[in-house]
Amino acid sequence: METALLLNTSMILTLTIILTPILLPLLLKNPQNSPANLTRTVKTAFLTSLVPMTLFMHSGMESIISTWEWKFIMNFKIPISLKMDQYSMMFFPIALFVTWSILQFASWYMASEPYITKFFQYLLMFLIAMLTLTIANNLFLLFIGWEGVGIMSFLLIGWWQGRAEANTAALQAVLYNRIGDIGIILSMAWLASSTNTWEVQQTFTSTQTPMLPLLGLILAAAGKSAQFGLHPWLPAAMEGPTPVSALLHSSTMVVAGIFLLIRTHPMLSNNQTALTMCLCLGSLSTLFAATCAITQNDIKKIIAFSTSSQLGLMMVTIGLNLPQLAFLHISTHAFFKAMLFLCSGSIIHNLNGEQDIRKMGGLQKMLPTTTSCLTIGNLALMGTPFLAGFYSKDLIIESMNTSYLNTWALLLTLLATSFTATYTLRMTLLVQTNFTRMATATPMNENNKAITNPITRLALGSIMAGLLITSFITPTKTPPMTMPTLTKTAAITMTILGIILALELSNMAHTLTQPKQTTFTNFSSLLGFFNPLLHRLTSTNLLNNGQKIASHLIDLSWYKKMGPEGIANLQLMATKTSTTLHSGLIKAYLSSFALSILIILLVY
Amino acid sequence: SEMSKDLMPGPYPRTPEERAAAAKKYNMRVEDYQPYPDDGFGYGDYPMLPNKSLHERDPWYQWDQPDMRHNWGQPMHWDFDMYIRNRVDTSPTPVPWHTMRKHFLVFLSTMLIMFGLGEIYPSYRPVGPKQYPFNDLYLEKGGDPNKEPPVVTHYEI
Repeated sequence: METALLLNTSMILTLTIILTPILLPLLLKNPQNSPANLTRTVKTAFLTSLVPMTLFMHSGMESIISTWEWKFIMNFKIPISLKMDQYSMMFFPIALFVTWSILQFASWYMASEPYITKFFQYLLMFLIAMLTLTIANNLFLLFIGWEGVGIMSFLLIGWWQGRAEANTAALQAVLYNRIGDIGIILSMAWLASSTNTWEVQQTFTSTQTPMLPLLGLILAAAGKSAQFGLHPWLPAAMEGPTPVSALLHSSTMVVAGIFLLIRTHPMLSNNQTALTMCLCLGSLSTLFAATCAITQNDIKKIIAFSTSSQLGLMMVTIGLNLPQLAFLHISTHAFFKAMLFLCSGSIIHNLNGEQDIRKMGGLQKMLPTTTSCLTIGNLALMGTPFLAGFYSKDLIIESMNTSYLNTWALLLTLLATSFTATYTLRMTLLVQTNFTRMATATPMNENNKAITNPITRLALGSIMAGLLITSFITPTKTPPMTMPTLTKTAAITMTILGIILALELSNMAHTLTQPKQTTFTNFSSLLGFFNPLLHRLTSTNLLNNGQKIASHLIDLSWYKKMGPEGIANLQLMATKTSTTLHSGLIKAYLSSFALSILIILLVY
Repeated sequence: SEMSKDLMPGPYPRTPEERAAAAKKYNMRVEDYQPYPDDGFGYGDYPMLPNKSLHERDPWYQWDQPDMRHNWGQPMHWDFDMYIRNRVDTSPTPVPWHTMRKHFLVFLSTMLIMFGLGEIYPSYRPVGPKQYPFNDLYLEKGGDPNKEPPVVTHYEI
């Protein structure tokens, strides 16, 4: 069978299947879309996307399709070019699998929502934008997907639009993403002017790439993937419904920034300064997010900061010039993070809206499936040997320990690994074990296929995905083969230290030996003071100065000083000096008349 | 229909009677009423309310307009669109402002200094200079075959 034809057809078919629920109601007479319909569509698309993935795993075949050009300038080509390479062919089934599970879960979670079909359609539109971003071969198509996921993120975070905090959070997400968009537009402009193309293949230079486009790309990734400095939108995005958090802000949208850097990694690999910048930014983000997660009390915020921390780890991997390993971490992270969010959604709904872990406890007996899968997800997140997270996380730590890099970045990442274990164990201990601290009458029932099937499916993925992907995909760079035992066990040692720290802290909290508020706990629970400092200062100054300049200063200057009042002031000055001459004495007038006649006679 | 002339904002009040009339117009007490200073920026007799955002108003009280936390007839701040619940929050922080600023700047500067130190003293696997065989490739590098080659070792035992 013609493999190229099969590959291209099945990928395009996957995209077409996804587009069907959006396009078909426009063409048919009576538009009928339902959540079950949409879930089934995504499941079909997932099964179809397994064909190209299997083809790639079996034969290593990749392809690039380049069709219809947008002819608006003679010299500049913008075709619709789709790249089916390792990254897009692996990402499609994973994203579709996760989305299918989330849609099935959302049919239970959002069952009481009057506009549930619109919600599902929004999620589907987001998925289309994300897949466009993944399969794009030129930066223009990628940018279309980039903006698409940004807009859908805004609409979905602010889904419950009557809630002021949700609107503020959606606005925050859009503004921070916009700052990142400055970066990607800057690099696109530089590329268009220097290399006359937006195709990713043609941007490769053998000499060192200049800093400007790379800074733009790094800014774009920092904005979209919530690196330190542009991170506050990700915890705030937890105002949206849990399926939104599971799909957008854990597995798919936030990895778009990292994906951009993976796509453009030939440009990055030339410039060592840019790589070091990625490394330092990533390590700072991962430690900062892990520090903030330790003292959070909202279960969704803990998982959000965990996402932020893992994104920092992916940025670190980019900084080590290992894009394939970053992609492996994206793939394995998608499984267990989406599962963690779905488990937290199940817990929240079963406790009738309670999100505070200080009011949960003893759920291991009451929600066995959910909490078992929560444990599996947490173990995978910590990098337990041979679960999914181990294959990517351990490789990253090993590569870090055996390369030439900034020492502080290495130390921060190791510290963040142990903090990951700490906050994960804290969440597990407070949610699942010990006595229950919740209200006595709760509608607790997880005996619903719509809850257990997605969660157990994703649990299976969390266990198997790492092994499956690494068994079938050959690495493009040689991983470090030999290292001292201490280096090899560095990741697991730091995790065990983190677990010990968590147990010790939990013991101290039970026996109340430490003061409740110290400098460090304040720093951690108020998210490093970043949010109040920057948000209040910048918005107050911007809005105040905008008001003063736009209405007061401009009005004052143009309508008063430049116009009537200004001219009147000038006239006043002149008249004040010349009024002294109006003395009324005839002698003065006659003498001034004679003087002026004399001067005229002398001149002429 | 429009508001009548005596309900609209007017010029800066100069006499105490004008101040009392302006305070009554804005539904405020004469003691509370404080206009903006008359420096030509066009505020007129509009009251200068404290710069507090809507976040600080009681969320549980039954306001006439719950989303704006505002009662009918209550004077609105000149910059009210800056102080709504989607914008600036001026509510008191749990930690004082100067403490927050100091701790954040300490954290940031420590990180930047340590990153700089990490660049100066990077971490790498222990390596030694490369040792080529045959006396550092003496003959291959064009050495004289008749002369005794110098012994070059990059290691110590």
